[in-house]
Amino acid sequence: MIILRVLLLILLSLNNCIADDVLARITPQLSQKTITQGLFQQEKRLKFLNKPLLSAGSFSYDQSKGVIWKTITPIPSLLLVNDEHLLTAQGEQALPPAFARVFKALLGGELNRLSEGFEITGKEQKTSWQLQLTPKDELLKKVIKTILLSGDSELRLLELQEANSNLTRIKFSEISHPDRLSNEQQAEFERLSP
Amino acid sequence: MMLVIGTLSSQTLTKDWLETGFLALLPATEQQPEIAKAIQKHNEQRDRKVIWLSGAATSEAAISHAQKLKQQLQQSRLFKTILLELPQQQVLQRYQQLFPYRYQLLDAQTQATLQNNPKDLLSRNLETLYSPMGQMTAADLEHDPLLIFSRYFHAQNPIKLAVEDGIVILKDTNRVWALLMADLEDSNLQLDKLESLLALVNNAKAIMQETGGDLIATGMPLFTAYGSESAKHEISTVGVGSSVGIVILMLLTFRTLRPLLLSFLAISCGLFAALVVSVMVFGKIHIITLVFGASLIGVADDYALHFMCDSFGAKNWQPRLGLRYIFPGLLIGLLTNLLSYSGLVLSPFPGLQQVALFSAVGLLVAWLTVVLLFPLLLTRFTPEHQPVILKLANNWQQHWPVWLLKNRRWLVILLAIFIAGGLWHLTPRDDVRLLQSAPAELIKMADKIKQLLPVSPENQFFMVSGNNLDDWHRNEQQLLKALNPLTAQNKLSSYQGLSDYWPDENTQKLNYHLLDGSLYQSGLIKHYMSDLGFSDKAIKNELNQFTTAKNRTISLPDWLSTADENKQNLWLGCDSSQCRSIVSLIGITDLSALSLLQNLPGVAWVDQVEQLSSMFARYRVRVSLLLTAAYFLVFIGLGFKFGWKNALKITSIPVVSALVSLAMMGWFNQLFSLFNLFALLLVLGIGVDDAIFFFMADASREKQTSPDSDNEDKRASTSLAVTLSALTTLLAFGLLAISSTEIVHAFGFTVATGIFTALLLSPLVGFRKV
Repeated sequence: MIILRVLLLILLSLNNCIADDVLARITPQLSQKTITQGLFQQEKRLKFLNKPLLSAGSFSYDQSKGVIWKTITPIPSLLLVNDEHLLTAQGEQALPPAFARVFKALLGGELNRLSEGFEITGKEQKTSWQLQLTPKDELLKKVIKTILLSGDSELRLLELQEANSNLTRIKFSEISHPDRLSNEQQAEFERLSP
Repeated sequence: MMLVIGTLSSQTLTKDWLETGFLALLPATEQQPEIAKAIQKHNEQRDRKVIWLSGAATSEAAISHAQKLKQQLQQSRLFKTILLELPQQQVLQRYQQLFPYRYQLLDAQTQATLQNNPKDLLSRNLETLYSPMGQMTAADLEHDPLLIFSRYFHAQNPIKLAVEDGIVILKDTNRVWALLMADLEDSNLQLDKLESLLALVNNAKAIMQETGGDLIATGMPLFTAYGSESAKHEISTVGVGSSVGIVILMLLTFRTLRPLLLSFLAISCGLFAALVVSVMVFGKIHIITLVFGASLIGVADDYALHFMCDSFGAKNWQPRLGLRYIFPGLLIGLLTNLLSYSGLVLSPFPGLQQVALFSAVGLLVAWLTVVLLFPLLLTRFTPEHQPVILKLANNWQQHWPVWLLKNRRWLVILLAIFIAGGLWHLTPRDDVRLLQSAPAELIKMADKIKQLLPVSPENQFFMVSGNNLDDWHRNEQQLLKALNPLTAQNKLSSYQGLSDYWPDENTQKLNYHLLDGSLYQSGLIKHYMSDLGFSDKAIKNELNQFTTAKNRTISLPDWLSTADENKQNLWLGCDSSQCRSIVSLIGITDLSALSLLQNLPGVAWVDQVEQLSSMFARYRVRVSLLLTAAYFLVFIGLGFKFGWKNALKITSIPVVSALVSLAMMGWFNQLFSLFNLFALLLVLGIGVDDAIFFFMADASREKQTSPDSDNEDKRASTSLAVTLSALTTLLAFGLLAISSTEIVHAFGFTVATGIFTALLLSPLVGFRKV
């Protein structure tokens, strides 16, 4: 399925870190831990629907194991991703090559890894910051207009504006950095790399 | 005569006469023409395709390598199409063409969901929509609220590949690869183009490796190219090797250039005529024919040698007198050789027919050159010296049989044990794949690509037929349903069948009714859409579109016109009585489980490898009989000419030689197949030659009333000729044994051991104790 495209098209080239000024100042503010977990609230606004699609759930990030994205309402579903695999309820999906890296960059607080694929502008205040990412790639521009990120010591908000004026907004809350994964989290990562 | 051949050559050899494709060697399948047609269609695309993967540490680098490679390929002008970026325009067009039929075209999974629990479809949609991904699908939702067409469309490409910048990206543990596919202009490339293809691969690889990347490539054309290159290399090795050997032998023996030049004349007349006639008859000759043909030098030289060696057998030797003595032997020699080659003509393999004709013409012309021209050209050829090799050969023919006869008791027992043991170990191997040997590196690349990109269809496939379109569709669906459990058990990784993508018109109507009954009439779609937040107008519009589409169906030809080349090639068409298609298979791990499915109605299992291998096995048995018959025929012929007892003596030489040769194959675990039997036909020809000349030498002694020294000299000169000819033949065929093509190697080994045995045994014929 092509379901994966957009967030995943962000994948383009995240290799060389040309440390932007803004990024250089923001990055130290962000906590970079091996494990990050928290809750999310997602809101998708599609221009042909007269109300937003709202969902909420939890996420867990482990630097070496990948990401668990667990939607709880309105329909429970699970998405598991690491460098090699992408699993959803509908089975194994093709993994766009840099998808895992984007997730890592966002959830693991390594924002400077995004500078290759995007023009980045931003503001920073004492404790908070805002970044605006615009795709460099012509192909990607046709799908994504901008990505807005904001946060403090953590990433708090992600807003994806599509070229067709659809919008996806994800709020992160109750972010914590435990020392080890819970048994449940362990088991879910097991499924990803048996 | 040479004038005629020369004139013919100017007409034939100016065309493209050399064939290199591996399949040209094989007989057209013995199966029905439909299957032959299916095989051709199945292989058509594969035989032209070269798959390239450019690798690097990152996808950006891999893509940039691939883009440079694409330019290189374009400049080479070898390819008809070069595909790097996926044809997005084409995909979009296909989407738009099929979209009006979305209520009729359901994929199998959606069909099953709708039948069992239509609400599942809706909740899966919601899952996707509420996930952090799925923006693209969300955009589809506007015109395809149930996402049924999106499902159908994506089910058409069951293998999910990652795409970056429109380019397919594959990943393994330490490298990222970008995919490029190229189709050659023609599946039957000419030799020079094959060479440039190989050069292109090596060159591109070198360039990429210089810049830290890597390149792997695979495809039928590469295998063909490597095959031709090694064959070409072998021709020159065998040709040069045997020529050098012959030059040295001749100079040592005759100490003058004339015999050498004359041999060269005989051989080149023979080879040239053989080439011209073969091309005339077959249109094109295969490069393998030339490999075997190169070894003809050794046999063609026999005639010249026997003639010239005779000059050592008489004082005041006169070519005409010499010819008179030697002619019966030469004639019988020629006839037995032609007889043994005629056996090859009977084989169904175009390759061997070519070898047979090539050799027969070559020998005949070389023989004629010797018989007609040599008497003139050898005028006043009276060597005064006694060459060392003559003394050696003469000593050997005098003493060797004595030793053999003295020890015959235990020698015979030893020989019997050796032969019996060897034959015991002899196991036939008829696998057609042995015909084609490829360098390990090429096989490694092919395996690697197969593992990264499991999309190339296997050699085996199903052909499905039915009395009409409906019947065909039903049969194919039945087969595909039976294949599903096999893919679940990993006996097969995937398959492609048209009926999965194109429901027949009846099923299309059923699909519409299924949707109607499960989601539309029940009002489920209305709820679903309004829950999601679609406007009333949008809901009404969707319901309207559904009603309007009620009687729509898409015919197979219309559907095929939107399909890609891969799918189009699956359709074989309908004739007055049957409709047929191919179901292609990818990643087979259990052949026997698949072949069992041929019991289904209208299903035929086509295994080209197995078919050819079993044909090899059948013909091996058939040719064994042919071989026995040939030996028997020679025996009968000799019996009428020389009497039964003598015929038995003469024939026993090639018979024992052939047995020893077979036993050697057994002991050394050599490849034993159809092709070795043809080699034994050569052993027959040459072994009989040797025996006959020894016999004639003895017979001439009996004819002469006054026993002077000449008598022993005939035997001496014969032994020289036999030794020289055996040595030259050994050089020629022995060199085939170094071939990297296993089948050519086996041929060389068989002939070499056979000839060597014949050389050891033939002095026994007509031997008398002095």
